[in-house]
Amino acid sequence: MKTFQRLYKLLNSHQALKITLYIYIMHNLLFLLTLLSALTRPVIRTEEPIPVYKTGDNKVWAAKDYDDKDWSQTRGNTLDRIFWSRTHFELRPVENELKPLGLQIQSFGAFEVYWDGVLIGHNGQLPQHGKPEMPGTESSYYRVPDHLISPGFHTVALRSSQSFFPEVQRSVDFKMDSYTVLLTKPLVTMSYMNLMAGAFLIAAVYYFFLYLNSRRRPWDTLIFASICFLFFVLLIMEYLKFHVVIPYTDFFVRLEIIGWLTFANALLVPLYFIIQFNCKQGKWLMGALLITLVLLYIVHYGAYDLTARLYSLAMLIAAFIVVLNGIIQKEKGGFIALAALVISALVNKSVVYDFGLFISFTVIVLSMLYLHSIRASVIETEHQNAVLLSSRLQLELLKKNIQPHFLRNTLTSMMDWVEESPKEGSRFIQALATEFDIMNEISEQTLIPITKELELCRQHISIMGFRKEINYIWEEVGIDEEQLIPPAIIHTLLENGITHSEPLPGNTVKFVLSYFLKEKTHEYTFETLAENRKVMTKRTGGNGFKYIRARLTESYGQNWTFDSVATENGWISTIHILRQ
Amino acid sequence: MNILIIEDEARIARRLERMTIEFFASKPVTISICDSLQKGLDQIRNQLPDLLLLDLNLNGDNGFEILEQMVAASFHTIIVSANTDKAITAFAYGVLDFVPKPFDQERFFKALTRFVSPALKVEEDIKYLAVKKAGQVRLINITELIYIKGAGIYTELHLTNGRSELHDKSLELLHQLLPDQFERIHKSYLVNFSQVEKVLVNTGTRYSVLLKTGEVLPVGRSKYKELKNKMI
Repeated sequence: MKTFQRLYKLLNSHQALKITLYIYIMHNLLFLLTLLSALTRPVIRTEEPIPVYKTGDNKVWAAKDYDDKDWSQTRGNTLDRIFWSRTHFELRPVENELKPLGLQIQSFGAFEVYWDGVLIGHNGQLPQHGKPEMPGTESSYYRVPDHLISPGFHTVALRSSQSFFPEVQRSVDFKMDSYTVLLTKPLVTMSYMNLMAGAFLIAAVYYFFLYLNSRRRPWDTLIFASICFLFFVLLIMEYLKFHVVIPYTDFFVRLEIIGWLTFANALLVPLYFIIQFNCKQGKWLMGALLITLVLLYIVHYGAYDLTARLYSLAMLIAAFIVVLNGIIQKEKGGFIALAALVISALVNKSVVYDFGLFISFTVIVLSMLYLHSIRASVIETEHQNAVLLSSRLQLELLKKNIQPHFLRNTLTSMMDWVEESPKEGSRFIQALATEFDIMNEISEQTLIPITKELELCRQHISIMGFRKEINYIWEEVGIDEEQLIPPAIIHTLLENGITHSEPLPGNTVKFVLSYFLKEKTHEYTFETLAENRKVMTKRTGGNGFKYIRARLTESYGQNWTFDSVATENGWISTIHILRQ
Repeated sequence: MNILIIEDEARIARRLERMTIEFFASKPVTISICDSLQKGLDQIRNQLPDLLLLDLNLNGDNGFEILEQMVAASFHTIIVSANTDKAITAFAYGVLDFVPKPFDQERFFKALTRFVSPALKVEEDIKYLAVKKAGQVRLINITELIYIKGAGIYTELHLTNGRSELHDKSLELLHQLLPDQFERIHKSYLVNFSQVEKVLVNTGTRYSVLLKTGEVLPVGRSKYKELKNKMI
């Protein structure tokens, strides 16, 4: 008791220990369960009991010792008539814990079940008195009376009809176990599968909301949500038979639905990987995959389990191609996805289809979830960088007017103007104040009306005129006043033009800003007509161009070009912005 | 008197010119203005100025690359610049003064006064002497200097590594730039005081100093007393 208390205290204080212990216990429990189910010896000794059939109706045929040597091993097409089947098998001596025993029959049709001639139950209703058959369900359970389960041979006779799908030859399978185990085992399995299904449903809903609320409407998120949802439906459909009584007439409907769900997922999973790993041949691969899947459907029509297996095989192959391509392209998360696919393939190969498919799918979906989180974090980083860049550009814009070279030179000139001709001086001060105002106004924006930018340029020219005493001429051609432009990019070109130009004879430097609406782009050209100064030292500059490029990227992504070259007459810079 | 202004801002160049003329008032001065480093260098090649007024940041060119060449020349350089954070570096290279923009007449006159009064020492620390050698400019750390000898229009820098270099600046100009520990002991010698072992008195009231390196340098009669006082 003391030890227990101590252990309890220890566990309470160590969350991690608790979790580890939990995992340990769960792991062992699962191991134990698998071991137990493997060790249980079947109650029916006969390996594959073979039923024999006879069309017609005679209660005598229910008897244990009736001679059915002349009965047929095939049923034939019984139409809506009543037929009997008899199956003999041997029971082993049964431990008391297993009692009462139950019998599970998997078969089509409606039937009454006779155990050694004793009626122990029925599945659906046979046609009688002109009333048509009420179809039974594919899998039914019966309790076998204790006094009838002596070790040795027994006979199960079914008085059946199969009015629907009379031509479908579906064998009759028997399984015996403790009655309670027979009834509860599917429920236990189902509870685990529902747990998984619930997780996928939550993921589906979450990613679907994520998709709806994202301004970018990212395709991969929608696809991922769909995969999760389809997988949820697949799980529900697979185990639907345990909580809904499905008449055998609808048996294939469920299988058909499962088939199509697998089909859809077999398409969507590789598609998701194609998007995640930027696979360039994605379209071709998807086309090939679609054709393969359709062919599989046609060729193996009706063989539901086989088709589903082949679907998932096709999916795995396609996904492998994409992921390997991703690894070659050095995409993030490639190896994780590869590992998931390998595990998935192994599971698919070694575990029975029912579970195998779901486990392998789960592994893949988990790896996709991981990829998604990687991608989300990449997007987050990109976003942060963009925000950072924007604030850096904002700062750079504000710095333009307070950096010492501009400000101190301007102030020195201003001092001189004020001392020498106060009237001009105050005009100079006015121009500087206006430039400051505009800068202040635009500094927090990423796009401003072109008219603002032009005003800024004109003020700047007026200031520089006072400073350099050069006759700067400003010209605008074809400006569309409705257009927006990132702040201070023309201004930056103007600054460069002023810095690197010597005036032409007549002490003039001319700047021409032209706008052209091209077929695909907005084009701005900024021309400086002057003598280019010779470059003497290594320029620490280039910052101006960096600023322009960063501003264009900030507002237009990749949809712009910027060129700046010397010409015979001076310098020309061209900006193309793709039309939206 | 020849004064060269290298300044790309026309208005500021004219301001410098006006103030310079005003400062020298009666004396005849010739002032040239260049608005780029290239033109400035061409002008210097044509005619050596007596004083250079230099802006460090010109049309995007970095004036510091030129500064090394300028301070190696025979004339004094005064920097007039907006890049006030570069002042310490400029002084380390051996400029006579650094006038930060914006400047008024008083501040600019102070710099010119320094130029016309060699006895006024530079207050900020010089760290290097730039020396032209085979077209290249080399910076010599002033801690490497033992003494400087005047040799006609040149000076010889004698260094701790036993070698000597020629400098274009006169002994007077270097004396003005170098810190207090450099003492003028003779009309032809400027010595690093920390390198002096002792003062020797020779027969016939002739004086000399023995340096730590074993070299003996003459001491001017008028300088002896000053030196003696300093030694004690």
